[in-house]
Amino acid sequence: MWIPIIILTAIGIISGVLIWVTNRVLPPEPESLKKAEEISGELPGMNCGACGYPGCFAYGQALAKDKNVFFSNTCATLLQDQKMLTSLEKTLNLKIDRNAMNKKAVVACNGNSETIGTYLGVGSCKSANKILKGFKTCPYGCLGLGDCIKVCPQNAITIDIDKNVAVIDPQKCNGCGLCVKECPRKIIKLVPANAKIVFLCSYESIKDIPGREKCDFGCIRCRKCVKACESGAITWNKEKSIPEIDYSKCISCDKCIEVCPTKVLRKYPDFYLKPKEKSKMSQGRDICHGDV
Amino acid sequence: MNNLLTIFLGLVLINNFILAKFLGLCPFFGVSKKLSNAVSMGAAVTLVMLIASIATGIIYNYILVPYNVQFMNIIIYILVIAALVQIVEIVIKRTNIMLYNALGIYLPLITTNCAVLGITLINAQNNYSLLQSIVSALGGGLGFTLMLVIMSAIREKNELADTPKSMKGLPIAFIIASLLSLAFMGFNGLL
Repeated sequence: MWIPIIILTAIGIISGVLIWVTNRVLPPEPESLKKAEEISGELPGMNCGACGYPGCFAYGQALAKDKNVFFSNTCATLLQDQKMLTSLEKTLNLKIDRNAMNKKAVVACNGNSETIGTYLGVGSCKSANKILKGFKTCPYGCLGLGDCIKVCPQNAITIDIDKNVAVIDPQKCNGCGLCVKECPRKIIKLVPANAKIVFLCSYESIKDIPGREKCDFGCIRCRKCVKACESGAITWNKEKSIPEIDYSKCISCDKCIEVCPTKVLRKYPDFYLKPKEKSKMSQGRDICHGDV
Repeated sequence: MNNLLTIFLGLVLINNFILAKFLGLCPFFGVSKKLSNAVSMGAAVTLVMLIASIATGIIYNYILVPYNVQFMNIIIYILVIAALVQIVEIVIKRTNIMLYNALGIYLPLITTNCAVLGITLINAQNNYSLLQSIVSALGGGLGFTLMLVIMSAIREKNELADTPKSMKGLPIAFIIASLLSLAFMGFNGLL
């Protein structure tokens, strides 16, 4: 009866001693790893990868080596949380200008742009964009198949079925910019979080006139907004032939929104928060087989 | 030699850990979403299986059998495997940070993996010698890695397929696993 007890105890003690010995014999952990562990304790721990590093721990390691990484590869989730931001500032001994860095993503398309035909292929914008440059007459129209939905770590993106356009909830969005990189048509833009207006059209070149004429909901180049703007925040971009907004000058008088005939300029974030609008949204990309 | 080959092939193809013995199903579904993850998980499991088999083989053949206390094997194996994984983790962490980052989450996961305990118990059940234990651990680990790689490759392709909404994700993975299991039954006549 005593033999099993003695064997078990002996093996337990031997394993314990072995662990202790390996712990002692091997060189101690490098300093940077300890600091990285401390820093990654302050990070959100979502491992979303929006900062450009594989996971929060790798980001912590990079921060431990050089704290200026925070400015080149900003953690967007952290910027939303004042408490966490303050504690990280303390640990890293950094000064962070909050207003300048805080951003929100906006899908710059009004939706409803005309389709060329029915698309029944693989349900992703990237695949659809490779066939005849997408199934919309406008080369800058949202395809609404929801590639951005999949990458969003905050689940902030939905598809508005009526307009067939992706919509980003400004309250949930943390401005990480993953969707901006994911969109094959490059129509998701980052705007300052305190922006009062957004321009929901993404024309890139003056040559895209055929697309322009067919989209009833895009910018028609009337330039009324430029004339209406009192503070000079809106200027005309001649190359792209669209208005450009300087958010630092905007005084949120809303005059441009009133005069815009196609409602391409919208009030932000109020435009996204109407309950009527919200009820129409639905998660997912079921639309790709039916309406398109 | 012939005997060793039988053990090896038997564990890789015929008595595959996942498809025939239903051990290690948790990482089979949990870590088989990406090919790269599957490969590193498989490598980590094979390594731990090998080390655990050597240690438990020594304990079984030179301690448990002489004192006639084979019934103690489960509890002693749990203790030994947990301690070993702990030691391996410390060694990797101190010597090779890059490898530690790559394997990071998987090593502690393996401690509670039934496939590792399974291989040591199978060794004990069949009264394998130390060399036979090592070969069977290599076979088991390779079979596990093979299944994980096949499954993750299928699941990566399957992401693009037009799966019905109710079948997306795990349900279709279970169906794929059952079809794979059926296919691997064909190896039964091999030996």
